[in-house]
Amino acid sequence: MKDKKTHINLAELVRLHTEEMVSWAYYKVSDSELAKDLVQDTFLAASEKAGNFRGDSSPKTWLYSILNFKIIDFYRAKVKKPVNMDGDSFSKFFTSDGEWIKDKRPHAWIEEEIHLLDDEGFNKILKLCLDALPDNWGLAIKLKFLLSKKGDEICEELGITPTNFWQIIHRAKMQLRECIDINWYKGN
Amino acid sequence: MKKLMHWLFLSCLKATELIEKKIYFKLSLRERMQLEVHKMMCDACSNYEKDSLLIDKALQKQSAVPPVIKGIDLKAFEQSLIKKLDDVDKV
Repeated sequence: MKDKKTHINLAELVRLHTEEMVSWAYYKVSDSELAKDLVQDTFLAASEKAGNFRGDSSPKTWLYSILNFKIIDFYRAKVKKPVNMDGDSFSKFFTSDGEWIKDKRPHAWIEEEIHLLDDEGFNKILKLCLDALPDNWGLAIKLKFLLSKKGDEICEELGITPTNFWQIIHRAKMQLRECIDINWYKGN
Repeated sequence: MKKLMHWLFLSCLKATELIEKKIYFKLSLRERMQLEVHKMMCDACSNYEKDSLLIDKALQKQSAVPPVIKGIDLKAFEQSLIKKLDDVDKV
């Protein structure tokens, strides 16, 4: 009888997918050593679980599901730290009445959207601005796009309340938008 | 007067909060109406919403197809990984 394990040649998968997986992880965690560690953990876990691989999905999809799990685990440990919700973060943008401070009022970004999303410079700035966010704020944003799950699912996953979640997102977006505005629109 | 307006049609702080909330959660009927009216009266918040959605789209796209990172030497890493997997297999 053929052992299930022989369906998966991990060494082959390492050669095929390592580069892409490290890039993927690097994009999510912004640290190349950590990205490598996570990919290594993924392959080690894969070798343990190889017997469970049923071939319902491609080996690549299977590896990425393990990798994503590792990345989320890493973030989950981080998010346990108390979330910084200092009330001051809005005073940069709003008056005490909750109205926009005059020169902070968002103006319309004029670039063609399609063009913008493909622009290497824009994407670089977006990434820099994302990494510049305070830990927990950037985390909330990254998790959203990492998990590509709905809000209430993310809250459940992280054990935070929905109110807490969108308040973090609100602060993070506010900062992210300004960072892009300053570095992209005003810099160009 | 301002207080009343804010109570009826939200402050910009509250409006931008609802704009973000709306992306992830369903707003109540009252919240939806307040936000719509507020945006009709407020260019800044309308622009904020457009920018915010654009940022989401860009993040989505970046996240789906992350650029390959250059400058990390992975050959040695791959070798050590294959060796480790070999060792695990032998145990």
